[in-house]
Amino acid sequence: MSCTRRDFLKATMGAATMLSLALPAPNVLVRAASTGDAQRDDRDTVLVVVQLSGGNDGLNTVVPYADDEYARNRPTLRLQSKDVHKIDSYIGFHPRMEAFSRLYKDGYLGIIHGIGYPNSDRSHDVAMRHWHTAKPGDPNCQTGWLGRAADSVWYANQKDMPAVFVGPIAQPFGMRAEHVIIPSIQTPDDLTIGPAPGESQRKRAVESFHADKDNPLLNHLRDCTANATANSRRIDAVVKATNTAEYPSFRLAETFRAVAKLIRADVGIRIFFTELGGGGIGGFDNHANQLGNHCALLHQLSESLAAFVYDLRKDKLLDRVLVMTISEFGRTVKENGRRGTGHGEAAPIFLAGGELKSRLVGSHPSLTDLDNGAMKFHTDFRRVYATVLDKWLGFESRTILDRQYEPLDILNV
Amino acid sequence: MAAQIEKLKDSGWAWAEYEPDAERPWNLAQAGHLYRRAAFGAGWDQLQQALTDGPQRTIDILLQPQGDIAEFNRTYDEYEAATGSMDQLRAWWLRRMIQTPHPLLEKMTLFWHSHFATNAAEVKSARLMQQHVLLLRNQALGSFRILLEGISQDSAMLLWLGAEANRKARPNENLARALMENFTLGPGHYTAKDLQEASRAFTGWFVLRSKLRYIPREHDENEKQILGRKGNFARDDVLRIILEQPATSRRLVCKLYRWLISETDKPEEDLIAPLAESFAKDYDVLKLVETMLRSNLFFSPAAYRRRIKCPAEFAIGIVNALEESVSTTQLANDLTDLGQNLYDPPTIKGWAGGKHWINSTAIVARRNLAAALLRGSGPYGNKLNPLVVAQRHGYATHESVRQFLLDLFLQSDLDSDVYDSPQKPVSGKDDGMEEQTRSLAYAIVTLPEFNLA
Repeated sequence: MSCTRRDFLKATMGAATMLSLALPAPNVLVRAASTGDAQRDDRDTVLVVVQLSGGNDGLNTVVPYADDEYARNRPTLRLQSKDVHKIDSYIGFHPRMEAFSRLYKDGYLGIIHGIGYPNSDRSHDVAMRHWHTAKPGDPNCQTGWLGRAADSVWYANQKDMPAVFVGPIAQPFGMRAEHVIIPSIQTPDDLTIGPAPGESQRKRAVESFHADKDNPLLNHLRDCTANATANSRRIDAVVKATNTAEYPSFRLAETFRAVAKLIRADVGIRIFFTELGGGGIGGFDNHANQLGNHCALLHQLSESLAAFVYDLRKDKLLDRVLVMTISEFGRTVKENGRRGTGHGEAAPIFLAGGELKSRLVGSHPSLTDLDNGAMKFHTDFRRVYATVLDKWLGFESRTILDRQYEPLDILNV
Repeated sequence: MAAQIEKLKDSGWAWAEYEPDAERPWNLAQAGHLYRRAAFGAGWDQLQQALTDGPQRTIDILLQPQGDIAEFNRTYDEYEAATGSMDQLRAWWLRRMIQTPHPLLEKMTLFWHSHFATNAAEVKSARLMQQHVLLLRNQALGSFRILLEGISQDSAMLLWLGAEANRKARPNENLARALMENFTLGPGHYTAKDLQEASRAFTGWFVLRSKLRYIPREHDENEKQILGRKGNFARDDVLRIILEQPATSRRLVCKLYRWLISETDKPEEDLIAPLAESFAKDYDVLKLVETMLRSNLFFSPAAYRRRIKCPAEFAIGIVNALEESVSTTQLANDLTDLGQNLYDPPTIKGWAGGKHWINSTAIVARRNLAAALLRGSGPYGNKLNPLVVAQRHGYATHESVRQFLLDLFLQSDLDSDVYDSPQKPVSGKDDGMEEQTRSLAYAIVTLPEFNLA
């Protein structure tokens, strides 16, 4: 294994000590039964999208260790069969993704092979924009698929925000919405009402105002103010409560911890979007000396996601949550002479959660039948989007994606 | 009031100049209303002066203030031109909104920014974005015709639309589509064929190295048929034809109605018709704005608090009332969190506005911004001090400070239970009054009513 301690330090900005932190006892999630017929939007499922910025090398993530072509094409980057965490006789997880291996064995992690889209673009900006708009054929598309998803359900409630971006970078285009304002936060505190000026404590003002029958805008403001106060209290309570869940000291883990808290607070957020690899082109873009950096990022992803999953499982919340990774493209099969890889095409998507029907979906793409040096996709990423929208969130993917993509039968819903 | 609502159905009365009478007196609430719409809120002196001057004289001043406005704007233009960064451009614009002697001009520049909705992230040039907003400002209260001509030749606009190359062999429909669908006629008032033909008229124009260029051999000289007219049309002909369409004038009047009068309901056709007809004659924006502001309708319950403040109005309203300026670099970031990233409207449709500004997380963010502005420490420092402002105007006792702040921010126009909810400063430690007044001001600007424009 050539993944050095220094690589880890570089990628994590600190020792990977495990922190013991306190989280609250499970919230009892009692939801009022919906009145009348079963609406599509009465679910409380949550989607967490994790963007791996820069184009993740799927081949060194889910490694076809038994394929001679893999060894032949990757003279310096190849991962040895003795080191990978074997999934079956052909593929295994990257050596530092021990946590993914555990999640997989526990049935909480799934791999969808061979994801991509027709006539895919190999520049970061364009390809990422395609994944964000979910409309590669429309270069003028000005909204992201998650932004449209939020817009599509806003009318049902109008008071609570169905989507949030959690992370230190600028909000990705995937959340750009025509109507709703989607907040970007770094910690759950960003969604709570802070203390008033001149006061050290948060004051619990009574926020009940009668409805004004005459002015719909004032009514809306009063309703939202009441919800803001109530939601803020719930988040405060969760943030203050003790919980013993352990998260590693990675930035992504902290983000997942924040998401877990907001899920516990139960304030109506259905979509979380976060990111690994940093703004700009992104840390997954390794044209040279890929091994160490990629290893560190995969380790962070794997440990952070596992901490999140087991934290939620402990509180019996895992069956409400589905995590999905996206990345703008995979990478070339053959390494490039600088111990790196070029921009490619097909790559796997990971799903994690408590309601996965199958752990391996689709076949691993061929390493010899290539398109300009990269593996060909067999499943359009918008089928995965349609799956999480229709099957998981209960939204209408057809209105969000402009046409009906065939969902995959991969979830127990 | 019922009689008034009834009268509003008569468009002649609705658009006639408001003259205060016993039933509809000129008072602090009306003055506050006017300053929320035609400016970014008011300070105490402005409100008092307005009470003395009466509505029409106050509107005269808002439309054409005294002072060297050109010089003020020239200075700011130079500051802006000297910066190469979008962050600084945002900060300069917000500072201009706060400091300007002509707030209505900035209010209308913001209106046109949302209307033409050009996005800096796509243009990728602070210089071009600066020139773009300068173009908006130059005609913000000028001629919509000249504005539209400028827009169709604006490098930032063409880059944003992906219309930087208009070849004869491959006419680019992006500019024509944006023009017809978003900037003028609106959906349903043109056909796909009109759009294609207009695109042919736009051929020959290119943005090369950020500069607009015309290449005659790339212009399609053949006959075009656009909106029922036939001829060898070029760019300016298309604009002329579009401006001749009644739909263009009507759409802009409706949009301005939503900006200046009410977001709660769509205006009746009868109400819009006389203004649309008049606007179509000369596309004089100042005249249209003036008609709306001076009208009975504007000073009626149909308009009063019938808009939701955009984040800039919310924040600058607090700053202006407290007679100071704050760090606008910080403010630009905070407004982004509230959903209003200047120079970066969400889509070509601009900011949706209205109820969309507000949801429970936006309320949390507005409250926390108000707290930051009023705290007296932290990112905004000690610039805003409500007690100092109250004392400056002669209010020093606990009850009078409370009354002053309610008048200043909300003209005390509140239901009695709401009016009672912000607690007055209570006697305590000697140095407690300032802190208590901050807390009180916060309680007032976080009332739902303060979010209404």
